Amino acid sequence: MTRLLALILAPVLTVATVTGVALPAQAQDGPLRIEITEGVVEPLPYAVPDFVAETGDAAQYAQQISRVIAEDLTGTGLFREIPRDAHISRVSNFSSPIQFSDWKAINAQALITGAVSSDGGGKLTAKFRVWDVFAGTELGQGMQFSATADGWRRLAHKVADQVYSRITGEGGYFDSRVVFVSETGPKDERAKRLAVMDYDGANVQFLTSSNSIVIAPRFSPNGSRVLYTSYETGEPRIHVLDVGSVQSRMLPTTDGVMSFAPRFSPDGSQLLYSMTRGSNTDIYAMDINSGQTRQLTTAPSIETGASFSPDGSKIVFESDRSGSQQLYVMPVGGGEPVRISFGQGRYGTPVWSPRGDLIAFTKQNAGRFHIGVMRTDGSEERLLTASFLDEGPTWAPNGRVLMFARETQGAGGASSLYSVDVSGRNLKRVRTPDGASDPSWGPLQ
Amino acid sequence: MRRNLYISGALHLAVILWAIFGNVFRPDPPQVETSAVTVISEAEFAALTRAAQSPETAQEIDAPPAPEPEARPAARPAPAEPEPAPNPEPPAPTPEPEPEPEPAPEPVAPPAPVTPPDTTLPVAPPTPEASAPPPVLAPERAERPVPRPAPRVAPEPVAPPEPDTTVAEEVQKAAEAESESAEVVEQEQEATAPEEVATEIVTEAEEPAAAEEPAPPAPTLAPDASRRPLTRPTQLAQRPEPEPETPKPAEKPAEQPKTETAKTETPKAETPKPETPKHETPKPAAPEPAEDAVADAIAQALAAGGAAEERGPAGPPLTQGERESLRVAVQKCWVVDVGSQAANVTVTVSMDMEPGGRVVSSSLRMVGSSGGDAASAETAFQNARRAILRCQADGYPLPADKYDQWKTIEMTFNPEQMRLR
Repeated sequence: MTRLLALILAPVLTVATVTGVALPAQAQDGPLRIEITEGVVEPLPYAVPDFVAETGDAAQYAQQISRVIAEDLTGTGLFREIPRDAHISRVSNFSSPIQFSDWKAINAQALITGAVSSDGGGKLTAKFRVWDVFAGTELGQGMQFSATADGWRRLAHKVADQVYSRITGEGGYFDSRVVFVSETGPKDERAKRLAVMDYDGANVQFLTSSNSIVIAPRFSPNGSRVLYTSYETGEPRIHVLDVGSVQSRMLPTTDGVMSFAPRFSPDGSQLLYSMTRGSNTDIYAMDINSGQTRQLTTAPSIETGASFSPDGSKIVFESDRSGSQQLYVMPVGGGEPVRISFGQGRYGTPVWSPRGDLIAFTKQNAGRFHIGVMRTDGSEERLLTASFLDEGPTWAPNGRVLMFARETQGAGGASSLYSVDVSGRNLKRVRTPDGASDPSWGPLQ
Repeated sequence: MRRNLYISGALHLAVILWAIFGNVFRPDPPQVETSAVTVISEAEFAALTRAAQSPETAQEIDAPPAPEPEARPAARPAPAEPEPAPNPEPPAPTPEPEPEPEPAPEPVAPPAPVTPPDTTLPVAPPTPEASAPPPVLAPERAERPVPRPAPRVAPEPVAPPEPDTTVAEEVQKAAEAESESAEVVEQEQEATAPEEVATEIVTEAEEPAAAEEPAPPAPTLAPDASRRPLTRPTQLAQRPEPEPETPKPAEKPAEQPKTETAKTETPKAETPKPETPKHETPKPAAPEPAEDAVADAIAQALAAGGAAEERGPAGPPLTQGERESLRVAVQKCWVVDVGSQAANVTVTVSMDMEPGGRVVSSSLRMVGSSGGDAASAETAFQNARRAILRCQADGYPLPADKYDQWKTIEMTFNPEQMRLR
């Protein structure tokens, strides 16, 4: 009986429910219009089969190059490589047609095919194509690069930059280098040398000896020179080093006065630096060729850490003129600085993004250090990291990634380099042979 | 009388009470299953749970992107922040003398030169049959039926379903072939032919050009046109003068299409008389002046109806649920790179649909964007296109009987809510 009643009532309830749920149809005029406001944030799956070796001696490079490309792309956090074991199609000829259905089946949205050949004289040539699998079309145009055999990693980075650019629409940063301070030895007796490496930590080369302490290296806009501060004379003085010849010279700042925190202008013709006279530190601009200097700030407080905007019209710097260390923006030509940081804690080491839309900084608050970004007017502050000690952010050439130094706590604490996406995702350590600090990202080569 | 009422009321009350308290809506109590239980000591339990947790802790340690995940670092300064646990550094700096740094750092070899990119590669290899051809063929089929069935059937809400689309293809061919015969009766057309019919025939004759640009840019605007069809049937009923519309035979050029559409219309409209005779008498005499008024009225009404059809799809619109299912199907494939410039761009994509629910890939195009430069808009469009194509599988879940409603879709991708702040 119970079941009988339930059977009778069920349809009634169902009808009532359906009637109640069904919303009135909307009148439609023209095409059906749908608005989508929610998507997913996840890496884009792609496949990069081993490049085809078109000559016998190119076989090892073909595999290595395709692996570096995959590491570059996957390392951004924006892409996810589909393991080669899952590939259905095999690419054995660079010119053979692509079986898109096979790549769709494994959900590869992008496919990178390529080939490597050697001329037998030590010259490698890598060519590649990028495919939009679901559209069944090629993204951009086939392209090829040539280099000497020992430059195969650059070949791979070049290809990865192109792939990244074609899929994201933004410039890449894989074929770039980072200058940093390499640190060895115990904390209280640490040897520091300038070194340069590929963006991913490969190919480390030292630029200075460990005879004197060096800090705060800064790449020039074209990557040919490096500004840094050396304690060679016992007090901090600014040097400029030619990366190609590894020859350095001290800049003609005032003798007996501490000068530090240099940074190039976007066109490389001037530099900003700080100079301390007595207890007052101000920011100066120097024309590199003529050596002429100009004082930009005059407040009786400590102003330092200046950085140019990409168009060279403004600078951002840190100052304690308000009683605590905060960020200020002012025109290069002079004018009243405008404070842009108003959060709790202290702000320092500001760096203007190459895109011009953000300023990265180090923030110290409640015993923790953070790397963060904010709009150039100080709005929309976002903290990307937090740790015992994070400091000294530097932007990737495309303004998408930040690299900074993180130091661990304790007597045995050491410093190493990390990178993080501007979205706060994909925080990861950059592998260096020794400790590392003070990174400065160079331009795309 | 009252007694019956009381009896009825009492019975109803009894049924309701029985339904409420008689466990009518409760499922039959499930059968109770018994299982043997053993009692273990606290120590044993702790040992068990410890063993079970060990893999989890290992996972937690692995989770942070720190390259050297070890079990120890978690206990150190690591706060409960989303940062990677500080990797274990060598406990004590090795006292061994620092390996002599090269006293004079050798000149840094400039990065191996790479020749400028060469884009002179041969043209991309041809794509295999599988994916490319179908999309190319499909769109043409889908587009042509679009303008044709709509204008003729529109006045009535009853949508001309799929059969029309297949018919349309044949119609096109016939129209082209027989266009000459139409010229014979040209005079009559001009004099009395309903405007609607004349224009339709012309568009069919111009298939190639018209097919590429679907009718969406409906020439006339909706409000006026939609009312007239309603009044028409009554007028026609009052004046049983069907024949004056001699022009129709003149439209003969596209005989097949007309006859078929006529069939569809006759059952719907209450004025079948005027139309059926026309088809049966292909070549009537010239129109009489006295009947012009009637012909005009009919022509206007028909024209209005046709315009209404072009303007808005016929048939019942999609329900909110149907729209939602489409939205959900696409959004789960829409990958947003929140840190990119493209995340600032709202882009609108237009697409034509096949009756099966698949997108005509060649019809995907950006019809609008805002919030970024051209490069960002293009990237946003590519992301949207990828989402649309990737998630369609065998076709989006759209009701086939409402194809007219979704044969053309404009989808706006607005990442505002996902944007970084």
